[in-house]
Amino acid sequence: MSVVRVAVTGLGPVSSVGTGRAAFSAALRAGRTGAAPITSFDTTGFPRVHGCEVPDFAPERLLRRLDPRGWGRTSLFAACAARLAVDDAGLADTAGGGTAVVMGTTSGESQELEAMTAAVLAGGFPAVPAGVATALPAGRISRAVSEELAAEGESLTLATACSASNYAIGRGYDLIVDGDAEVVVAGGADSVCRWAHAGFHRLGALAEHACTPFDADREGILTGEGGSALVLEPLDRALARGARVYAELLGYGLNCDARHIMAPDPDSIAECVRLAHAHAGIGPSEVDYICAHGTGTRANDAVEAAAITKVFGDVPPPVSSVKSVLGHTMGAASGFGAIASVLAIAEGFLPPTAGWRTPDRELAALDVVPVSRPARVRVAQNNGFAFGGNNAITVFGEVA
Amino acid sequence: MTGVAVTGWSALSGAGEGRVALAEVVRTGRGPEPVDSAAGRAVVHRGFDLRASLGRKGTSTFDRWTGFAVTACGLALRDAAADLDGEQRARAGVVLGTTAGSERSTSEFSAETMTAQRPYLVPPSLFPNTIMNCAAGQAAIRYGLAGINATVAGGDLAFPQAVRYAATALRHRRADLLLTGAVAEHTPHSAWLARAGRPDAVPGEGAAVFVLERTADVLAAGRAVEAEVLAVVTGHRPGDQSPAAMTEALASCLRRALEAAGVRAAEVALAAVGGAGPETDAVIAVVGGVPVLAVDDWLGYCQAAGPALRTAAVLAARDEVADGRVAVCTAWSADGGVAAWVLRGWGGAR
Repeated sequence: MSVVRVAVTGLGPVSSVGTGRAAFSAALRAGRTGAAPITSFDTTGFPRVHGCEVPDFAPERLLRRLDPRGWGRTSLFAACAARLAVDDAGLADTAGGGTAVVMGTTSGESQELEAMTAAVLAGGFPAVPAGVATALPAGRISRAVSEELAAEGESLTLATACSASNYAIGRGYDLIVDGDAEVVVAGGADSVCRWAHAGFHRLGALAEHACTPFDADREGILTGEGGSALVLEPLDRALARGARVYAELLGYGLNCDARHIMAPDPDSIAECVRLAHAHAGIGPSEVDYICAHGTGTRANDAVEAAAITKVFGDVPPPVSSVKSVLGHTMGAASGFGAIASVLAIAEGFLPPTAGWRTPDRELAALDVVPVSRPARVRVAQNNGFAFGGNNAITVFGEVA
Repeated sequence: MTGVAVTGWSALSGAGEGRVALAEVVRTGRGPEPVDSAAGRAVVHRGFDLRASLGRKGTSTFDRWTGFAVTACGLALRDAAADLDGEQRARAGVVLGTTAGSERSTSEFSAETMTAQRPYLVPPSLFPNTIMNCAAGQAAIRYGLAGINATVAGGDLAFPQAVRYAATALRHRRADLLLTGAVAEHTPHSAWLARAGRPDAVPGEGAAVFVLERTADVLAAGRAVEAEVLAVVTGHRPGDQSPAAMTEALASCLRRALEAAGVRAAEVALAAVGGAGPETDAVIAVVGGVPVLAVDDWLGYCQAAGPALRTAAVLAARDEVADGRVAVCTAWSADGGVAAWVLRGWGGAR
């Protein structure tokens, strides 16, 4: 029996620091952050008003089939990210049953829900504009991608909160290995919204101007948004069509804390890392880079560091958090982490933790990467954790 | 073939809770009467009492949607007589389907930011209720299930997608037991969504959860298989999504499901669909004149929970699906989703 290997052949980031692989990679290496005053809702009365929004998002310039009218912002992020990824992969035709779509999200079409809420407050349900109900269901996110690509295979939206893109990538792995799809577009999307901003503020988890994970003076997250998408194919098919293969998706691990709906658990996360390594067929010593969940909250970073120490001992591989650049893009976040991990492997560099200055003595075991630097990355581990205790970790490697 | 078996299940709906209540609906062909709720006429689970079902401990933040989910998961575990030890719980998990979580909880949280004296004065303990994985996460906490925990946001397609997801995880031995189902609550917010999607239907609510395990493992342990999930196929119809196009896409999906199941159309003894329209037309086109249960006509349009309740109705119709007889179910969404799944029923007697 031949073992199917899974290649990553296309990358589609739509982010606060750049749209498309080249722009995203340049911003990531430079550690340029997307933080700015939020414009998508009225921040009057909020003590903290910075976030990482996608500026000048123009879906009509990126989409080929999908008519942006009738779709919410999150679905359009997903569809645009998918279009960019498919073009990056050099796939001329994605139509038909061979293409599957798996997208992750935390809050789905949050801005549609907010529009509904505002209308109901003003005049009850009859006051809600036509079209909001059609656009609101979270499953629209993968449907938008399937429409854009004319894809007839599975069209799945996984709503496992802030690790959802890693779930999606894992699902994509299985679809390829099982021969259920020839091409999978996997990733995630979310939009900045008022209620999530309020919720994180109330939890004391929002930073004022900058998200600086693992720094002693870290304040918390910046709410972010965007769409992340990767093209997955069987490796031999990719090589046969002469595709550029960025990296191999070696495997993934999933588990659930099953203890607390919000607080992460270091033992459970360490177990998830072990599950991911076992599935990828690697040991801890082979990991050259950890793309951390790294939200920049005191709790997450301490728990994540503890879990890393449990698995890797006192000398773990270099670690960074791309949330320092992108903010917390929620359901898109681990997809952006995956794109950063794949770029690290393909282009030979370690992504930075932008703004990291002051080591935290409690996290002393971590080898935090403050500034991007050249490095050979053979294996990268991409962490994703979430409310609900939904841990998901993907592992990427050089194509040997 | 998925190689996955149902070893227990539960259902909550306007018909009440449990096998007997649903079996009575199927046997008589009569559903519960719709009632006048605060959100208009609907088929609701009137007897549901969250505290009576689940107690007070750990449930103070639960909304109706989470309460349904956690209750249905517990009843399904009990129905399967699954008494899991610590090691087994590490390899047991939850896969739940939804449309958008509790739209009411999310909208009410959102409303706080618009009406409170300061926009950030939202109740922090209710923040997780705005996230769609809340119900699956709470079920995992309640029953100590540390294996795969996934939430599928697929609306009308969420349940078959959840079953496909679970079947893959079981086949690849990432988990040994997965509580797999779908949940929907009746609230003013969900009723508004339901009426926008199916203006002619009476909104309903409910949940159905199935205990899924690898068939081979169940048989090796000498335990009863209630039904085998022979195949689940889902897909998307891009472009033309007219009723005629969706009927054709559904029929094609159903043919592929039968092929994957290794079953001829003539072997199908029973079908369950939401109602008239593309589903019924596709079933007639592919399998001909078998009895068709139109489950939404009895239980209302239950959005994500509908296809799960459809499956429960098939299993409740024991006489029709015992002795290895085959049933098919379908689901579709107006935005291009199609699904068909094939069950072989053993009535727990295999």
